[in-house]
Amino acid sequence: MSTSSYKKGDPYSHAGAADKMAIFQECLQQFNATPVNARKCRQLLARLLRLIYTGEVFPSQESTTLFFSISKLFQHKDASLRQLVYLAIKELSSTSQDILMVTSSIMKDIQSGDLIYKPNAIRTLSKVLDPTTVSASERLFKNAIVDKNPIVSSAALTSSYNLLPIAKDVVKRFNNETLETIQSFKQFPPDQFQLHEYYGGATTSLPTTSYMYQYHALSLLYELRNHDKMSLMKLITSLSDGSSLRNSLAVIQLIRFINKVLLDDDSLIQHLLPILINFLKHKSDSVELEACKTIISLQHLISKADFANVVNTLQKLLSVPRTATRFAAIRLINKISVKHPKEIITVNQELENLINDSNRSISTLAITTLLRTIGAGTVESDSTVEVGSESVDRLINKMTSLMDDITEDFKIVIIEAIENLALKFQSKHKKLVSFLTDLLKDEGSLELKSSIVDTLFDLIKFLKDKDGKQAILMSLCEFIEDCEYTELSVRILHLLGDEGPNASNPSYYIRHIYNRLVLDNSIIRSSAVIALSKFAVICGGKVSQNIQILLSRCLNDVDDEVRDRAALSLKFIANNEKNLIVNESKYDLAVLENKLIHYLNNESNFADQFDINEIPAISNEELTSLEYENKLNRLDKNDEMEVEPTSTEGAKDDSNADQSNDLLKQQEFEQEISQVAEFKDYGKLTKSSIQPIYLTEKENEFVVTCHKHFFLETSKVVLQYNITNTVNHLIAQDVSVIAQSDNPAYVEEFILSVDELRPNETGTIYVSFTSPSLAEDELVSVFGNTLSYTNREIIDDEGNIDESDEGWTDEYQIGDLEILPGDFIQPLYNSNFDSVFDQLPLEDSTVVHLKGIKTLENAITKLKDDLNMLPLDGTDYVPSDSNSHILKLFGRDVWGGKVGILVRLALTGGKLVAKLQVKTETEHFSNTIVDGVGV
Amino acid sequence: MTNISLYTITSCLILDKDGKRLYGKYYQTQTLHPELTTLAQQVEFEKKIFDKINRVNQDILLFNSNLVVYKQVNDVLLIIVANLDENESLIYQLLSNLNDSLNILLDNTLDKVTILEKYDMVSLCVDEAIDDGVILEIDSSVLVSRVTNPPSGASLGQDLNLNKIDISEKGFLNALSFASKKIGERLQQGL
Repeated sequence: MSTSSYKKGDPYSHAGAADKMAIFQECLQQFNATPVNARKCRQLLARLLRLIYTGEVFPSQESTTLFFSISKLFQHKDASLRQLVYLAIKELSSTSQDILMVTSSIMKDIQSGDLIYKPNAIRTLSKVLDPTTVSASERLFKNAIVDKNPIVSSAALTSSYNLLPIAKDVVKRFNNETLETIQSFKQFPPDQFQLHEYYGGATTSLPTTSYMYQYHALSLLYELRNHDKMSLMKLITSLSDGSSLRNSLAVIQLIRFINKVLLDDDSLIQHLLPILINFLKHKSDSVELEACKTIISLQHLISKADFANVVNTLQKLLSVPRTATRFAAIRLINKISVKHPKEIITVNQELENLINDSNRSISTLAITTLLRTIGAGTVESDSTVEVGSESVDRLINKMTSLMDDITEDFKIVIIEAIENLALKFQSKHKKLVSFLTDLLKDEGSLELKSSIVDTLFDLIKFLKDKDGKQAILMSLCEFIEDCEYTELSVRILHLLGDEGPNASNPSYYIRHIYNRLVLDNSIIRSSAVIALSKFAVICGGKVSQNIQILLSRCLNDVDDEVRDRAALSLKFIANNEKNLIVNESKYDLAVLENKLIHYLNNESNFADQFDINEIPAISNEELTSLEYENKLNRLDKNDEMEVEPTSTEGAKDDSNADQSNDLLKQQEFEQEISQVAEFKDYGKLTKSSIQPIYLTEKENEFVVTCHKHFFLETSKVVLQYNITNTVNHLIAQDVSVIAQSDNPAYVEEFILSVDELRPNETGTIYVSFTSPSLAEDELVSVFGNTLSYTNREIIDDEGNIDESDEGWTDEYQIGDLEILPGDFIQPLYNSNFDSVFDQLPLEDSTVVHLKGIKTLENAITKLKDDLNMLPLDGTDYVPSDSNSHILKLFGRDVWGGKVGILVRLALTGGKLVAKLQVKTETEHFSNTIVDGVGV
Repeated sequence: MTNISLYTITSCLILDKDGKRLYGKYYQTQTLHPELTTLAQQVEFEKKIFDKINRVNQDILLFNSNLVVYKQVNDVLLIIVANLDENESLIYQLLSNLNDSLNILLDNTLDKVTILEKYDMVSLCVDEAIDDGVILEIDSSVLVSRVTNPPSGASLGQDLNLNKIDISEKGFLNALSFASKKIGERLQQGL
């Protein structure tokens, strides 16, 4: 190579990747030259690969030309050149045409080529084969799989694995060879380490085999057998003795198979758990980790003693020097702490040490986990409360000292964890609130302060304890005395206006708000005016008069916005227009936006006025329950996706979207249904089930989902079946669903069927019923559903059907649909369940056995979902290993009455018994609930 | 959901100190990672990871439901990206063994200049470790033993001469880049 050409391809040129066209030309020239200069060609290929790996893509024609000239290099015998040729062919194979032409050269290499590039040849072969040519190489692959050289074997196994999508039937014939490979012992040839000069003669410390072929064979075998559970079980038990699998990746794979089997059938746990427990002690970190992971994902099946084993292993892993392992271990511990905080109290010491870990993610996880385990102490008996509060003290001290030297987004994560703790374990809030307010007084960016203020706002909304609320409000008052961020002051003033008038000492807040009027800028002054006027209308009497005096002074303010607001407020107060100052309800903004867009898009609408009454108003009560639910969901989500301060923001958006989506969806249903002429007289749609209920498997030929629509005014129920035809060659005609109720009070009126359903189309079938009224009969029912249709086969590419062929009719049973009490209830939040529950007039009670449910947690989830009610006072959280639990559910029924249920759950002898005390405002509805639970 | 297939690795990357790609291979983009198919998407992804790594310097992080392990060596950054649920310890082991092998193959000078110069060795080494997202081999000595050295030249006098020039030029540039790195660091500390 000349100096000039060396300069041209200057690898450390800062001008970026070398010129694509120049390399292309040089490749063609050099590869076609005789004799081939191996050294030069290898260098050229390296430059070509560099282009590819930095993102250049050759268009099909150029790629094919390159491919063709590279194949010329097969004439050269040099092994080191050949190895790179294979890599280049592999990378170009996806963009080139006519790649089959190199097949024979590759096959020749596999049969009689040099050992060093034989594995490369095998792996490249799987890239150039197509479904029609695979079978020609069957013999070759079989021989390679059973080859004594582990690397050749691995290459053949992974290549077969890659061929699965295009030639599964051929690969299936490798079953025996693959099985044989798992149990065989393959060794590197004696000269393995002399192929590369680095190791020279030294062979003593080098491995004789890495057993990677076991991993590849095991995975391939799984793909070949995964539909046969029995043979998979046999494979697992035959390999689980600990000595057959020598490769840690293979063991990890085996553990994953066990996990998979158990997910499908958890009755096998007795057999398989001992195997998993064995792997908790292994020489490789990654195997131990995988075993822990799997056992934790099966935690509902695991006894306490076995759990302790897992925690022991994790404890050991927490102290290894490798960051990745420590990180993985604490991630798992954090996951346990969500459900079983008590089990991991033993590792608290290690966790406290990890707070100062150099890896920020690890220390964050350590803190959030600690916060949770401490919370666990407080829900226990009195003696542990002492211990709990002691450790809260200690942790808060530790965090206070830590807060100085950590970054802000880290602080925000901790603040969220504290909020979580304070919400779930309200008795602990005092310490935590004082920690937060101290933090609020320190220096900090707007983002940090906002997150503290957000947290405090939420605590005010959801704390039960009046004194606690007052303490927060008072510290917020102090904060705005000296707050540099206008937007925060405005938000706090707004909150003070909402919460202050109902507190025991409104004059305290009025004083602080008035200070703002004197001392702050005009934006803050105007919101202070509004806040004060709220005090005036709510407190009335003397307070109102005093405030009017204060406000009248604002009429001379320099800023016109402040003057306007003051004048307006004074007018409203004088005329006693309370509802113009204090909002009892809000419009649903998502629906409002939707309606407005609809209205503006069509000028013909302008003839009529926009009717604001069409927009559902959300009362404050309902708003709080939505927010509360979102809050808890979000906190739970954070638990899953810890560590990432950026991702939590995404989660926030999601849950907000969810909520507005529900209302939008309801709106959509209303519109869809109003389009159908038959439903004209049905009146207003009262409620629909939002989430589609799957009545078939999602992979079925016809996928059926269902929504329930209730019209209470006219006593109708409409079942909406959405049917998707996933068969490519069939057209379904006269598609209909026959729904039969086990409750004679539901009388079918008519079916709106679908005439024709082409492939990948979704059709909607409506079945209408007259429903019983609440007073006369029970509402709960189960519908048996049968899908019926006529099959017509598609005979040509345009999707036409053979008119002469009548097709055949088919009918089959799909899943049952239940109408549950939850269909008539909406979750509602209330901060004081006990007193509201006492006041509900009508009562009923029942005792049910919950069949097929083995844990309290599952029972709570089922009750919550079936009844569609909101668990209050954190009662959806079950402390581990308790056998009884009290669940408080609250909601509002569709007739407008409140519904409260007190559920006492007990776990005895593996059976779950629930005693429900149902209290309602609507007559007869409690019967419905009592009838419907546990069906 | 635990991933049971052999396809474990999403991507293997080598970036320089400015986050520019020296080596980048994404596996199974068509089937498993459609969000990383085009070059633009990949570059965006690399940029985000690079920013994140620059901020927190600590071997492993979670990013957009990916598990990212990385190692900073001299002026380059080795990165392996896998699924969020993948075994952290295993992936890190792969990365650190890959690092060891590259160090041996590049004569203990794992830096940008050497990587570009011996790109054939680097590509072969990564290909022997990960093929199509499948972990082929994890033992570093086996990895090294699988990578051939370039042909020993056609023993032309010209070639020999050139070799000498190569070495001296490389040595000079190495020294230069080392110096500029040091100066850069000093400047940063001063600021």
